[in-house]
Amino acid sequence: MTTAWDKLRPYGMVAPAIIIFSLFFIYPIFYMIYLSLFDWNFVSPTKSFVGIQNFRDLLTDADFRKVLSNTTIYTIMTVTLTTVLALLLALWLNRKGILHGFVQGAIFSPHIISLVSISLLWSWLMDPEYGLMNWVIGLFGFGKLAWLSHPGTSLISLVIVAVWKGVGYNTLVFIAGLQSIPGDIYEAAALDRSKPWTTFMKLILPMLSPTIFFLVIINMLGSFQVFETIAIMTQGGPINSTNTLVYYIYENGFRFFKIGYASAAGVILLGIVGVLTLVYFRLLSKRVHYR
Amino acid sequence: MVKKLTGLTLSIMMTTVLAACGAANDSANGGETTGASSNAAANVNANANETASAPAEKIKIKYWYAFGEKIEEAKQHLVQEFNASQDKYEVVAEHQGNYDDLHAKVQAAFAAGDAPAVTDLEIASTGVFARSGMLQELTEYAERDKDELQLDDFNKGLMGNAYVDGKLFGLPFMRSTPILYKNVTMLKEAGLDPAGPKTWGELEEYSRVLKEKGKLGMTVPADIWFYEGLVAQSGGQMLSDDGKSVLFNSPEGVEPVAFWKKLATEKLIKIPVGDEAGATADKDFANQLSAFKFASTAGVTGTLEIAKANGFEMETAFMPSNKSYGVPTGGCQLVMTSKSSDEEKEAAWAFIKFMTTKENTIYQHKHVGYLPTRMSAVESEEMQEHFKQFPQYKVAFDQLEYARPRPMETAYPEVAKLIREAIEKAILTPDVEPKAALDEAADKANKLLAK
Repeated sequence: MTTAWDKLRPYGMVAPAIIIFSLFFIYPIFYMIYLSLFDWNFVSPTKSFVGIQNFRDLLTDADFRKVLSNTTIYTIMTVTLTTVLALLLALWLNRKGILHGFVQGAIFSPHIISLVSISLLWSWLMDPEYGLMNWVIGLFGFGKLAWLSHPGTSLISLVIVAVWKGVGYNTLVFIAGLQSIPGDIYEAAALDRSKPWTTFMKLILPMLSPTIFFLVIINMLGSFQVFETIAIMTQGGPINSTNTLVYYIYENGFRFFKIGYASAAGVILLGIVGVLTLVYFRLLSKRVHYR
Repeated sequence: MVKKLTGLTLSIMMTTVLAACGAANDSANGGETTGASSNAAANVNANANETASAPAEKIKIKYWYAFGEKIEEAKQHLVQEFNASQDKYEVVAEHQGNYDDLHAKVQAAFAAGDAPAVTDLEIASTGVFARSGMLQELTEYAERDKDELQLDDFNKGLMGNAYVDGKLFGLPFMRSTPILYKNVTMLKEAGLDPAGPKTWGELEEYSRVLKEKGKLGMTVPADIWFYEGLVAQSGGQMLSDDGKSVLFNSPEGVEPVAFWKKLATEKLIKIPVGDEAGATADKDFANQLSAFKFASTAGVTGTLEIAKANGFEMETAFMPSNKSYGVPTGGCQLVMTSKSSDEEKEAAWAFIKFMTTKENTIYQHKHVGYLPTRMSAVESEEMQEHFKQFPQYKVAFDQLEYARPRPMETAYPEVAKLIREAIEKAILTPDVEPKAALDEAADKANKLLAK
């Protein structure tokens, strides 16, 4: 016999999670969409309804296009570099040994440091006049680089920081992926006298594809929403060369007090991230080897 | 089994809670014993005594401020003095980063209904904050306490940003102008007149000589505040008088950028860009790589200490003139937010009055280097003595004669960003003409201002 309690219990159990989720995720999303239709500064008593004017302004704004292209370039570079480097490191580190353990620990350590500290640290390292980076490349006979202070090098400098921070975690996940490949498959490959390259392409990569898929998605979503390093290291400059979507939203909302405009940009970010996630799940999942 | 246990615990808890309630009710309902009621009476008496000897509850207000080091020391010290000076109010001071961070946080806190009663406010942002209703107008308060306040005593040159549309919204607190810092030791070593450059032309000549010695004339960030100064020195204006259109792409506005670009291209001066640009200028000056820097007068005490530690002599001077001298004023004023209770507003007003007294403006001037905001302070013996002993502190005050307020249009923060980008573009890209870069920024800025 089922009582009312039996029927209600599951709902009661998930209620706390659902309430928090609705309050801090669902409600803000709808509120943001609502705000994107207004011209408002967040504090004045009246907000004026402007319809889709904010979106029209955004799409005709050359700065916004620059911001979108910055974000895309940043994401592609960060995701590619992080994933490839992490995979190479994982292949090298996937064995026992003191050196390997040490390297694994060393490259993982940035992951647990606050991104704010990392940003400050790298601002100093990349100082054109007094920074360690320029001193090091000077030892190899190269001239000084401007790093963050020239539009030509600023975005790639931020990518370096992101890769430095992310590669350890990615390597760890890859190693876990490698270790979950059953040993007998390698034995079979060895019996067939498979060359290392063939083993890698035909065996390791397909077996690792769920891991790769997972990492590419979380790296991409993370990179698309990069904020801390930019807020601390460049503030979007010089000449907007490092202004990315989330910083642009912050800048418009909290520096220029244009909440409606910022919300409209937020809606576009939501759309992009949503579509990317869908596309990835649809397209890539077909090629991913699931066991 | 588990279910039963839970049921048991529940029932036990319920009983305990109910019992506790019952007990509480009992004693509240009039007590069973005379002992208990006499105890209660004694308690009431004790409370009454306390209220008689000390005020019931201090009114607590929050004060948010910007910046660290010397500036923070001075602000914290003044807050402590205020709390010790009376027993009605208690001010809790909280550090919020730089001006931009502070403004963003005040706005968010205001939207959330949790704004500080008093905050520092960078002067150019007074317009945005006042027009969106976040600030309490101070006109009535100032009228009521006019004898104590002596509004006329504040330096006229600093009051331009205190009023928005004719209404008083803030009182000058830690106010500044940019000044020229000189490393006199470097100048002497290079065989130059330690008096330093008075004009743009002299600045260029000085820089040429310094370059030959392997040094730099100056390291100067492409900062909007310095640019406002250079435009004023060229006889131009940032915005039209009605604030509806820009004037910085006029010849007077283009000249400073062309001047900077020329000197930077010839490597006579260095123009760092980005977030660390200001810090780079300070480092280059401290390490005696550059002989000059532009910086706020807020840095006088700190720079004197650095100069002493690094073994060089530091003096200050007016920013060099082009057609004339000219500087923007800067720094912050104290403002009151509009949604506090009347009691809190009284506390805030008392605090603002305290922070801007003659004695306290002298204190903050000596401790940090910001301008003495009151004429009575400048005329005081203590100050005249201080000026004589450290002429470095006097320059900013004398320079006020050529000072002008900063634009306060709602869109100005965004316009300032456009200008900064245009300057960076003109300086970092060899084939971009300053005029073209500023024209492009002016087009966008005009659209923002016309709204």
